[in-house]
Amino acid sequence: MRCTIAQPTPLNSIETREHDIHNQRGRARVQSLADYKKRGNRRWFPKRPAEASSESRSTSSPTDASTPPPDAEQLVGIEQDPAKFTPSHTRFQRGSSSIRRRFGPSDLPSTPLGGALYVATPVHEEDDCADSDFYLLAKAYFDCKEYRRAAHVLRDQTGKKAFFLRCYALYLAGEKRKEEESIELEGPLGKSDAVNRELTSLENELSKQRKNETIDPFGLYLYGIVLRERGREDLARTVLVESVNKYPWNWSAWSELQSLCSTIDILNGLSLKNHWMKDFFLGSAYQELRMHNDSLSKYEYLQGIFRFSNHIQAQIAKAQYSLREFEEVEVIFEELLRNDPYRVEDMDMYSNVLYAKEVFPALSYLAHRVFMTDKYRPESCCIIGNYYSLKGQHEKSVMYFRRALKLNKNYLSAWTLMGHEYVEMKNTPAAVDAYRRAVDINPCDYRAWYGLGQAYEMMCMPYYALYYFRKSVYLQPNDSRLWIAMAQCYETEQLRMLEDAIKCYKRAANCNDREAIALPRLAKLHGELGSFEEAAYYYKKDLERMEAEEREGPNILEALMFLATYCKSQKKFEEAEVYCTRLLDYKGPEKEKAKSLLRGMIAAQSGLSSTEAEHFPP
Amino acid sequence: MAGNLKSGGAYALTPHKVALCALMQIYVPPAENAAPTPFSSVSEHNGLGLFLLSLTKSCDSVLEPNLDKLINQLMEIGGLVNQWISQHLTCRLSALSTPDDLFNLFSGLQSVLGGNGARSGLDDSILLDPNSQLGIFVRRCVLAFNQLSFEGVCHLLTNIGTYCKKSHASCSTYQSRQDDDFDNASEELMSFEHLLFGKVSENLAAETKAWDGFVFHLHAPRSLFRLIEGSKALSGLDHDKEKGFDVSSSTDGLGTDDYSGSFFLRTNWQVQGYLREQADLIEKHGSSYPFNAFESVLNQLKNLAPELHRVHYLRYLNSLYHDDYLASSENLLRYFDYSAGAEGIDIALSSFPGMSFGRYEIALLCLGKMHCHFGHPKQALEVLSEAVQVSQQHNDDTCLSYTLAAICNLLSEIGILSASGMIGSSTMLATTFGSSLSIQQQLLVLLTRSLKRAESLKLTRLVAANHLAMAKFDLTHVKRPLLSFGPKSSSKLKTCPSNVLKELRLSSYLLSEFGSDGAPLTIDGAFSTTWLKNLKKPMASSIFLHENEPGSRNNTFQFGAQPSPIHGSVLHLAGSSYLLRATAWELYGSAPLARMNALVNVTCFADASSAADVELGYVKLIQSLAIFKGYTEAFNALKVAEDKFISISKSRIQILKLQLLHDRALHQGNLKLAQRVCDELGVLASSVTGVDMELKAEACLRHARTLLSAHQYGQAAAVARSLFFMCHKFNLQVENATTLLLFAEIHKRSGSVVLGLPYALASLSFCQSFNLDLLEATATLTLAELWLSLGSDHAKRALTLVNRALPIILGHGGLELCSRAYMAVAKCYLSDPSFSVYDDPEIVLDPLRQASEELEVLEFHELAAEAFYLMAMVFNKLGRLEERDEAAASFKKQVSSLENPHEEDLISARPRKKFRSF
Repeated sequence: MRCTIAQPTPLNSIETREHDIHNQRGRARVQSLADYKKRGNRRWFPKRPAEASSESRSTSSPTDASTPPPDAEQLVGIEQDPAKFTPSHTRFQRGSSSIRRRFGPSDLPSTPLGGALYVATPVHEEDDCADSDFYLLAKAYFDCKEYRRAAHVLRDQTGKKAFFLRCYALYLAGEKRKEEESIELEGPLGKSDAVNRELTSLENELSKQRKNETIDPFGLYLYGIVLRERGREDLARTVLVESVNKYPWNWSAWSELQSLCSTIDILNGLSLKNHWMKDFFLGSAYQELRMHNDSLSKYEYLQGIFRFSNHIQAQIAKAQYSLREFEEVEVIFEELLRNDPYRVEDMDMYSNVLYAKEVFPALSYLAHRVFMTDKYRPESCCIIGNYYSLKGQHEKSVMYFRRALKLNKNYLSAWTLMGHEYVEMKNTPAAVDAYRRAVDINPCDYRAWYGLGQAYEMMCMPYYALYYFRKSVYLQPNDSRLWIAMAQCYETEQLRMLEDAIKCYKRAANCNDREAIALPRLAKLHGELGSFEEAAYYYKKDLERMEAEEREGPNILEALMFLATYCKSQKKFEEAEVYCTRLLDYKGPEKEKAKSLLRGMIAAQSGLSSTEAEHFPP
Repeated sequence: MAGNLKSGGAYALTPHKVALCALMQIYVPPAENAAPTPFSSVSEHNGLGLFLLSLTKSCDSVLEPNLDKLINQLMEIGGLVNQWISQHLTCRLSALSTPDDLFNLFSGLQSVLGGNGARSGLDDSILLDPNSQLGIFVRRCVLAFNQLSFEGVCHLLTNIGTYCKKSHASCSTYQSRQDDDFDNASEELMSFEHLLFGKVSENLAAETKAWDGFVFHLHAPRSLFRLIEGSKALSGLDHDKEKGFDVSSSTDGLGTDDYSGSFFLRTNWQVQGYLREQADLIEKHGSSYPFNAFESVLNQLKNLAPELHRVHYLRYLNSLYHDDYLASSENLLRYFDYSAGAEGIDIALSSFPGMSFGRYEIALLCLGKMHCHFGHPKQALEVLSEAVQVSQQHNDDTCLSYTLAAICNLLSEIGILSASGMIGSSTMLATTFGSSLSIQQQLLVLLTRSLKRAESLKLTRLVAANHLAMAKFDLTHVKRPLLSFGPKSSSKLKTCPSNVLKELRLSSYLLSEFGSDGAPLTIDGAFSTTWLKNLKKPMASSIFLHENEPGSRNNTFQFGAQPSPIHGSVLHLAGSSYLLRATAWELYGSAPLARMNALVNVTCFADASSAADVELGYVKLIQSLAIFKGYTEAFNALKVAEDKFISISKSRIQILKLQLLHDRALHQGNLKLAQRVCDELGVLASSVTGVDMELKAEACLRHARTLLSAHQYGQAAAVARSLFFMCHKFNLQVENATTLLLFAEIHKRSGSVVLGLPYALASLSFCQSFNLDLLEATATLTLAELWLSLGSDHAKRALTLVNRALPIILGHGGLELCSRAYMAVAKCYLSDPSFSVYDDPEIVLDPLRQASEELEVLEFHELAAEAFYLMAMVFNKLGRLEERDEAAASFKKQVSSLENPHEEDLISARPRKKFRSF
């Protein structure tokens, strides 16, 4: 099992900070960003210091993985130097080395010209002396994941950096212990709540530092995490905002902040400085708040600037996926895989798309590749699960989803997908359980609500299922499938609440119903209820649509038949004739019926004219 | 019970259990060290044993007690010995410093157990039977320890460390640790906590004050406290305080322990028992149950045991009885999503386990009941018929019969216009009945079917409840043959009181049967607690006698009182059967019997039946008080009842208050007030059609009466007409009779007497067919009055009518009815041309005197004035001037108080103001 404790992000930043101090590269970077703005040089892409943010996220909030981890990759789509980019280099070096590469000796010591927009990296004078042997020793211990040892070394150090490293090491030590404990203490009634025992002391210390205003943005970030875990979300938000305003390149802080913005009001209430990092933040926050169009436009704007960024590309794919534009998603992912063949992140979504499109070979290829890359990642397991599901081997599929959940028990889509598998296996109680867990992790997951409704409908409890469908429809009011499911529920033999069903179908027809289920059902239901005018209206609409999409099927016959008889009964003989002649193109009983209809009409018309002729002789 | 949990057998070893094990070793000293036992007497030794036993069984809270608590309890039980024991225990626990110590402890524990091992032959050594409760406890602990991984042992060790340390730590330290748990408002929290502690200590102080009454509160373990609760309730003491104490002490547990994992759940079995008990309590006390406190306990429980889904069910119950629709539906669905209906519902036990499907029909049943509770008849019916289908599909007969009973309940309680719209949609009901039957006939069919089903499944409680429902149905419905043709169509169209009583008797008979076998009900937790209580009693009393001679002498007999072996829900049913008897006698017109039955319910079943039932009993008693003793006494009684039931939502007491106020206002002629009160009464009813029909009918009736007293005959008639239509539509036959009588009254007062006669006669025939004897007498009286006002020719006929009704009126009628009858008698004589006052003045004067006295008590000024007027006239005729003047003066007084009711307003305003503050 993969330990969720991983290298923290802010240390990257520390590392970069060191370089900031010693080489003034940070300033140079800001400076050149200003330059870039001036020159409009589109070839320049800022380097994001927070690389390993995804992993640090899983440390800082192991309970909240409903938000997909932000991209760990660089924003830059620039060429990578294979010589310098060897496995022996840690990520920290990678981050700084690329900066070093680019800005080398041409650093400018001046303060950035960005004004209020771009906040300069804070200068820590005392760091010169703080970078002592103690610090280096602690850092080495830290890199070896000996957190407590590192903290112990730094016990008497007072520098800001040392302070942060000590606190962070303590925090991580607590996290590690917590993870271990939660397995050790697993009781008969589920996990007992293991907690990070360092939180209290850390909070005290950090709050003291903040009061004395001797805290740096990284300390603030840590303080934010601690506060969040202590359940004091408001203060955590303020602290994190402070942190990102002081130092915007700490993506981990941003993503912490994002997880604290559960509504759009909270998001709008944040007083963030208008830094370009804010756009990244907003894009991801909008996605989380299910404002997919806003998110998409944000990312598309960003893509204009950071043109080669894989991260942005993946985010765009995500937004498109939420908007159900599968074709485009597939294209994006194909490109993404070409550029970044060992990518595992977000690939589960790609597998979902492939699953929906039933592309067996591509899905198996993808599964093979991620399996080779890293088999113990929840995403990999999910992809394999999807593959087996497509193959119809649901037991195996469940096994892989289970593995994914073992790796991350809050992996939302795995719960939902496992629920789907159980539904396929007709094990409804298990399915209900899986869906319910998904819903309790994130009550906004409309798929799981929908799944719950479906499971109950399968058990012949349509009225009970309605509650769940209502929930899902409330969360995703523009999805025709949900409305159709709800309508079908109303339509069942047991309920026969046809008026309500019609209402639902109407909503479905208004939300771009691709499978074209709603219109014929509407027509039919209206016909059953005896309101033929509406029925005719919907049949006509359905007919138009089928013509536009060049689809054939039994529906067309039915529609034509109904319209022909309806028009005849309404004495619109010409229209009826049109429909009848169209019916003549088809084989089967309808053709005969159309013929007789036509004959009847002609007879009636001629009869009419003959009587007319009798009454009014020329 | 716990078998449904995923790993029900797993047993977490906690410091508390280790402490118990250490105590166990003291209780059963190892034979090889021949040290003398610390016990000076056998009873002391037994005391410790019983204490240990009760600790392993009690389910009075979720969390295990900390060391302090344990030691306190230990100290309270015995004297010096226990001091020694507790010291020994502390030493023993704090001596555990390495994993090896623990290992030794548990390997030593094995020797405690006897059985068929080698040691069984040894003489003189006390051994635990491995199959006894304590033996099983020890074995489980040993097993759990043996299964423990090394990490687990380490955890246990640290936990024992904190467990011991905590007992030394003072209050302030853990408060300071606690402070940073919540928002910045740590000071607030502190003060809150002080408040909490203050409350607890206050309560403790209160308990101390009550030394005379229940001394051993302070000395007995907590579970003993509950035992007294029952007797307290019986003696009419305040429930709320006790309950407040209960919950505050559990939140106290929340506050004092911080997050560091130093509190532990009791065993599954105990927690489930606790939850079950709480569920019973919630259902019993309804909305007066402390919502927030229990919610926090549940929250904690959910954190500690996320797989214990019962918590969601308890949450559902809690929010259901506090009228939170959203939360209750949310929690109900969540509970069933997780548990698939397989965990923790009584009826789940009786059917075979291991069904793969899950029991979602129970979810439907519960959801249906929830809708019933919230007054959504349409949804309820829809859900329940779905439940019928699903349980048929899965052959769940038990659930099916419960569902049928629920549907019956729904149909009988809520007026449903036509079943075709709703039941028609569900195929099952429609096909079995055909749509031709009326809703009442459907109800009857359902009732009989449900009864039969329950009988065949031997669901005793359900059978009893169904008998009650049947009795209720028989009470207000004429049984008509389902087929309208054939030889049977000539049967009498009458309700059958003997049937009602038969059903009622059958119901209670079944319950007494039930008390003897009792097996299906008294399960796990509930059983263990009652059993535990039984056990503790003699122990507590004996200790008490040794310890506190002076204090205990008075109440030793209380300890000996056996608690009822019958389960609470059975008693509840029995209690409600008495209520139903009271209602039946009320309708049939026997005041003493009605009163007696209500009294039986209130006195004998107060602790077992739900708060709503007890409240209804009180309401009935107060109503009869108002009718027979006048308003002053009724309002006095009302005040007592109000204090008792103030926290209940949808309070019947409130309705009763409005009714009484309205009656009095009408009698006093304070029509404005009457109208206002009447309007407020109408507002209390739900706005959904078919729900709260009785209340709506009542409000309507009272409105018409008010208009009648204001001489607005046209409007009164219009209101009465709409009322009649409503009653007819929803088949409220008893109300129909009353409405017809009201029509007669309106016509009588408006002077169109001839028109009133048919209404009175119709009402009379209604009363006859429903056996409403008292109402029949009233109708007869009204008929007589109508005849009387037709002219003096009919006085003789009127007199015979009144005389016919007189026995039952004087026997069972209230003040108003009696005085009206007296007046009628007097008037009959006076208007009879062949009657002369001079021959026998007392024949007129006596009833008039009676009537005036009763009317004065009733404060019915208008009628009283009339009585005094007649009296004065008679005296005038007789030439008894002095008495005439006296009567005239009284007449004047009555008239003046009728004309300015504001004098009386002071009295009526006081309760009104109070009512406003609701």
